[in-house]
Formats: sequence, structure tokens, C-alpha cells
Amino acid sequence: MAFDVSLGQYYEGKSLIHKLDPRTKLIYVIMFMVSIFVAKSIYAFALLSVVVLLTVIFSRVPIRTILRGLKPLIVIVAFTAILNIFWTKAESDPLWQWKFITIYKEGLINAGLLALRIILLLVETTLFLSYTTTPIELTDGIESLLAPLKLIKLPVHEFAMLMTIALRFIPTLTDETSKIMNAQKARGADFSSGGLIKRAKALIPIIIPLFVSSFRRADELATAMECRCYRGGEGRTRMKKLKFKVKDVFGWLFSIALLAGVILMNIFLAEYGYMI
Amino acid sequence: MSIIELKDVSFVYGKKTPYEIKALDNVSLNIEENLITGLIGHTGSGKSTLVQMLNGILKPNSGTVIVDGEDIWKKPKKIASVRYKVGMVMQYPEYQLFADTVKDDIAYGPKNMKLSAEEIEKRVFRSAEFCGIDKETLEKSPFDLSGGQKRRVALAGVMAMNPKILVLDEPAAGLDPKGRREILGGIKKYRDESGTTVIIVSHSMEDMAMYCDRVVVMSDSKILSNGTCREVFSQSQLLKENGLDVPEITNVVLKLREKGINIPNDIYTVEDAVKAISSLSLERRAKNGI
Repeated sequence: MAFDVSLGQYYEGKSLIHKLDPRTKLIYVIMFMVSIFVAKSIYAFALLSVVVLLTVIFSRVPIRTILRGLKPLIVIVAFTAILNIFWTKAESDPLWQWKFITIYKEGLINAGLLALRIILLLVETTLFLSYTTTPIELTDGIESLLAPLKLIKLPVHEFAMLMTIALRFIPTLTDETSKIMNAQKARGADFSSGGLIKRAKALIPIIIPLFVSSFRRADELATAMECRCYRGGEGRTRMKKLKFKVKDVFGWLFSIALLAGVILMNIFLAEYGYMI
Repeated sequence: MSIIELKDVSFVYGKKTPYEIKALDNVSLNIEENLITGLIGHTGSGKSTLVQMLNGILKPNSGTVIVDGEDIWKKPKKIASVRYKVGMVMQYPEYQLFADTVKDDIAYGPKNMKLSAEEIEKRVFRSAEFCGIDKETLEKSPFDLSGGQKRRVALAGVMAMNPKILVLDEPAAGLDPKGRREILGGIKKYRDESGTTVIIVSHSMEDMAMYCDRVVVMSDSKILSNGTCREVFSQSQLLKENGLDVPEITNVVLKLREKGINIPNDIYTVEDAVKAISSLSLERRAKNGI
């Protein structure tokens, strides 16, 4: 078993996108998501693709790294797109027909656009939220954006801390899993042959030590936090305070302009829209 | 006769990513049969990587690994059989325990080898004895044991597979002096009785000097020095240049030599030092006519 964790990995850099405030990036990503689901016109898709391409270039994250992160998801994207080809029904003459399967031109275009949609979405969100933002920045950003919810007594800080810890321990646990797997392999464990039940059983020698060590780690972490007088968010100060800068204002304006542009294109260039 | 042969082995972690690290750089090494070979080096010098080459947990990017006369990657599908030949105890092996009782845990390896029930039973008791685990403990849950005891259970689990070569990655790390002596002493006793070839990875020069027949020193993904304890520890200059140390007692001897006392520079155990110093003082008395 191999663990590909490149999706969701921070890529060290000093680009403009790296330096944006995480809150700006979160707002932008939300705006981008809305835009991509609102987009109907082919021009809107062209605009969004260009934006994604430009942001990738600006971030200086190698395109190869991004493509490698996409690799495990290609199957899902392809599957969704192919389903779409067969499911679309249109008024026009079918391109191809065989028993109950009919393929329309609209179906092909729909499938293509759907695949494009998912890929653009994946690239842009991972680029902004994981390749160029450390997990700590991200959770700080989320905590700060959700701060108004404190007024209705939601434990926003605790939620953010929970996320920080969870994110922090993903690489640790991946590491630990591969260590335990190697150790059991060295004792002749075989994870890749036999039926389903045999394979499930073969995982027991990995899962039990993993659980035991997770509980141990949780316990140690709790003790360590208490030793440093952690008692929740109230009155807690930060070493790195989030501060909006001029470039963040441009970021917001860009986000709004993008959404507005997509909506305008939908209205005025609607005859080129194919999505149903 | 050498039982393990590495020929120009190289390995890189995270190839073609920004996190690329070279761990082994054209390493060639022979390991002699029936001896205890120590592998020393800094953190990150490539020791653990080297050791994981030996039973096919990692595959070299280039070069060949020959165990017992056979290239282990010749038939990649048969790599599991190499793992029965080369028993491996990883760092902090106590975290790999999982079974309900200590006995079941030790029996896990032999069971995977599909041995008969009696044979498994026999091997469990034998390896438990080498590792100083008593019959009472065998019925306990491994999670109720102390850290040192868990370590010994994990070690027994690998010994029970009767490997031709036993590889131990930092078997004594984090144990108190008594625990270290028990574990390493047990390993030496096991070697003496079973004739297994043993490879120990360690930071501790004292442990190496005490228990190993040969020492291999690694530095910066390469092999710096390879020989008997006497040969390696007499190269104190080379070791120190590479940020490694020699056993404490060798340091004492070197200090004595600095003061102009004519004592050999290849002493690495306390016993040898005592002998050398007492013979020196006898000489001096004889000279002075006392």
C-alpha cells in the first residue's frame, strides 16, 4: 500500500498567493466555488480556466506537483463524466444509438464541462488552501472568519483547535502506519493476497497498534497542553496575528469581480450555454 | 564467509519532489557469517535505510542486495521469503505488539510461516527464554507490560522465526543500563547458541565495543570505516573528524598517551585498559628495581 499525500501538502514558497491573508484566500475560494457552479456560458468557463492557470503560475507551485496531486482523483472525474454522457437527454438528433443507449451532442459537451468544472475546482481549492497555506494559517483563518458565531455560544476556538490537531497528526499517523506495516511485514504479514475476509483479518495487526498509539498520543498531548496551562480560547493571545494588507483588498475585489463577471457572461452570452 | 553482500547500492527518498533526500550513495558492504556486526552513525547517516534494504522493505534505486548467495530482487514476488531469512526488529518495536497474550504475539511470525502447532509452541518457549520472559508473563496481555518487557517480547517475536540473519535497529534505545545489558546480553547469548548472523544498529560506542565483533561506521550516506572493533576504534581521529566519538575508555587511553605514557591506542574495553595499565605499572616497578 502506498500513501500519496501530495494532495493537501504545503509547498514552501514566497509568492503573492503564499503571502495573502488566509481569510482572503478562504473568501476567494468560496467565491470561486460559487462562480464555477453558477457558470453556464462557455465564455465563463474560459474565464475561469484562465484564472486557474494564472493563479497556478503566480503561485510558482510546479504544475507537475499539482498534476500528481490530481492523479488519484482522475478516476472519479472520468467516471462522473462518462455517466453524464449517457444520462443526458436532448431534443436534437442523437449522434449514436444502440439499444437503450443514446448519445447526444449535448451529452458529450455536458460531460466535458462537468469534468472541467471538477478539475478546476480541485486545482484551485488545493492550490489556495493547501499548497500555499500552512494548516495553522488555515485554521487561524477559519477561526477568525467564524468568530461572529461566538455570539451565539458556538465553541469556535475549540473547533479550530480540533482541526489544527487533526491536521497536525495526519503525517504522524501516516508515518506510524507505514512503520507498523513494515514491522509486521518483517514478521511475514501478507496484506495483498487472499480473499476479502483474509485481507481484513491481516489488517488487525496494524489497526490495533495504531489505535493503541493514537490513544497514547492523545493522552500525552493533553498532558502537554495542560502543563502549558491551556484552558481554551478565552483571553488567549497569538504570536502571529492575522492582519489584512493592501494586497488582500485586491484579493477581495478580484473575488467579487470574478463572480460578477461569470454572472454577467451567463446573462449576456447565454446562447452559448450548454449546461442543463 | 560473507552472507550479505551489497553492491553499489543507492537510495533516494522522495525522488523528484522538493523533499528529495539521498540516503545511500553507492554503498558496497559485506557482512560476515556468524558474527555480530555493529552499524554506527549519526541520525540521518543512512543506517536505518541500509538496514531496511536487507530484507526488502525498501528497494534500492540502483545496485544489488545479495543475501545468502541470491539477489533478493531477482524475483520481486518472492520477496516475502527473504523476510523469513532476514529477521528484522525495527526501532521501538514495542509499538507493533497487538495480540491478546504475549504468547500469541510471539507466535505471530511463526504462524505466518505456516509451521506446525508443536513447532510454534517450541519456538515460542525457546525465544521467550533467550529474551528473559518467564512463563507467567507469556499469558499476560502485552499492553500490561513495562516498556523494557514489551521490547523483549517484540524481540522474541522475531527470534521465534529462526532467521539466518537477525537485524536489530537500535534495540537498546531508551532503556536503562540494566535493560540494555539484558537485551544485548540476550542477543549475544542467542548468537552463541544458534550461530545466527547478527547486525545491530546503535549510537552507543560502548555497546558496540562490548558486544560486536565487527563495526561498520556510516557517515553522510557512505561507509566511512569497516573492520574489527580494534581496527575501527583505533581510528579515533577519523571518527572525531566526522562528529562521532570513540568509547569513553578509548578517550581515557588517548589522554594518557597525550601525557606521554606509552600505552597502545587500540584499547576499547575497560578490561583491556586495566590489563594494559597494570602491565605498564609492573614494567615501571621492574625498571625502578622495586
